[in-house]
Amino acid sequence: MAELFTGLATGTTYALVGLGIALIFQVTGVINFAQGDFVAVGGLLFAVLREDGFDTPVAAVLSIVLSTAIGILTYALVILPARRAGHDRLMILTIGVSIVLQGAALLVFGADSHFAPPFGPGRPLRFAGITLPSQYAWCAGVTAVVMVLLWLFLTRTPTGTAMRASAMDPDAARLTGISPERMGLLVFALAAGLAAIAGTVLAPLQPPDATIGVALGLKGFTAAVIGGLVSPIGAVAGGLVIGLVETYATGYLSSEYKDTLTFGLLLMVLLIRPGGLVRRGAGVDRV
Amino acid sequence: MKLLRNRWTGYAVFLVALLLVPAIFTRVPFYTMSVAVVMGLQAITALGLVPLTGRGRQISIGQAGFYGIGGYTSALLSTRLGVSPLLGIATGAVLAAIVAWVLGRFLFRVQGHYLALATLSFGLTLNFLFAQLPLTGATSGITAVPSISLFGSDVSSDLSVYYLVAAMLLAATVVVDSLLRSPLGRAVTAVGDSPVAAAASGVSISALRRGMFALSAVLAAISGGLYVHWSSFADPSMLGILVSIQFLVVATVGGLRTVWGAPLGAFVVITLSEVAKSTIPDLVPGASGDYEIVVYGVALILVLIFLPDGVAGLFRRRTSIVHNLKGD
Repeated sequence: MAELFTGLATGTTYALVGLGIALIFQVTGVINFAQGDFVAVGGLLFAVLREDGFDTPVAAVLSIVLSTAIGILTYALVILPARRAGHDRLMILTIGVSIVLQGAALLVFGADSHFAPPFGPGRPLRFAGITLPSQYAWCAGVTAVVMVLLWLFLTRTPTGTAMRASAMDPDAARLTGISPERMGLLVFALAAGLAAIAGTVLAPLQPPDATIGVALGLKGFTAAVIGGLVSPIGAVAGGLVIGLVETYATGYLSSEYKDTLTFGLLLMVLLIRPGGLVRRGAGVDRV
Repeated sequence: MKLLRNRWTGYAVFLVALLLVPAIFTRVPFYTMSVAVVMGLQAITALGLVPLTGRGRQISIGQAGFYGIGGYTSALLSTRLGVSPLLGIATGAVLAAIVAWVLGRFLFRVQGHYLALATLSFGLTLNFLFAQLPLTGATSGITAVPSISLFGSDVSSDLSVYYLVAAMLLAATVVVDSLLRSPLGRAVTAVGDSPVAAAASGVSISALRRGMFALSAVLAAISGGLYVHWSSFADPSMLGILVSIQFLVVATVGGLRTVWGAPLGAFVVITLSEVAKSTIPDLVPGASGDYEIVVYGVALILVLIFLPDGVAGLFRRRTSIVHNLKGD
């Protein structure tokens, strides 16, 4: 039972990473390899600010704002100048961004892990005979709120509608006066912000260091790919699946095999059902 | 510049450059013979990406997997069974080719982004496996790997290993270049530029892609084998994700369209990383870990935005401008 809850709770952070990857891919056609490093930078900023004595809300807001700025810079400095390049070149560019962020984090924060205390009081949650650290509840709660807000933004605001239109058909959207470049900038800012939120809520559970971005990004990819890469809801479901697989693998096998299983799962989904487990038609054609 | 267009002149210039390296690298700051060996090993692996990624447009972020297969095979054979290192490297290369050929059967069904992720997860899965299996020595890897002996003498000093690696690089360059100039090479380019048109004219897309993948695997495995016998150990860090990415960075920075991109990229990228390793600690005292990767990243981004054909494309563009001026 405890595995179910920890799995779902850590899965929510992978879901946020996968969501960012799926959103960016849908709106710009770019696979963003740097998404995991956005999470790492967000988590590191939060942990370092907490270590420097800032309160949790202040540190969280600063970390999210700074990470969003990094997302905007990534789009403006790297993606925008090369937006006419092929998909492969754009993807290798985001690998470049990922390496730069990881290297910069090593330069600024060093290679050591940084620690942040849990958000709430340290008292663990007890119900139905199981005990969980309270941070898991924060993880799940924050993610749920963020997802509802994101859904409202995408479906109920003009900007969100414009973003969805731009994702569905960039040319038709341009004809109605929507600038794909502006939408690209916005989605990179949004994805970096989501990543920073994931990094922040995860920081008290898994102390971040500069190199965690790679593994987190890959789990985000696995989540997004399980969801078919174009479906935000699929990405969320994929994230939860990975959280569960990982926790049960740690519980029943050994923690060393959890990454092998996750990436084995990615390889299998890619080779057997490249359209995702929840297939929704045209996904693969866009590639 | 026209002279350089002749392939044999190109090989001769490259041979002279490779022979000059020991004289220059021992007299200039940053450079040592061990840096030259690393450059050579990187170039051999990056060379495999020229036909596969540059011409065939099949991206691979899993080359470290083959680098590891080559390294571990040769390390295991020479330490456990006493097989001679050169035979071990050859066995590793054959094994890597078989793995690539079989894997390619499934891998190239997915294209574009999915292929990148699939090759990446192949490399990572091998990485985690090698770090856990008792056969591969788990996380501690395999130590006390003997050095290569050639004609009765031991190839263990950095200088002698350099000559061996340089000879291998030159041979590999000639082989890949000849292949690209052959009808087979033109078919590979055609498959990359327009798979449908190539298939319509009777070219087997799948066989060509798998063949190029196997070739890149052989080169990566040879490079990994040479590395293991030089460094005298094999450990799971050989297969790390950053290793695969570094091969791709070297090939991309140098230029994926010609064979000269691989050595140029290795030279530029390793130079930058050595400069970074020696200057960053003075500038940023708190830095630790592999922070020099920040330099690779910046180089990669700048090259992709400003020099789509890499550093090698710089030379080519110059020559074509000259030709245009002449009305050639």
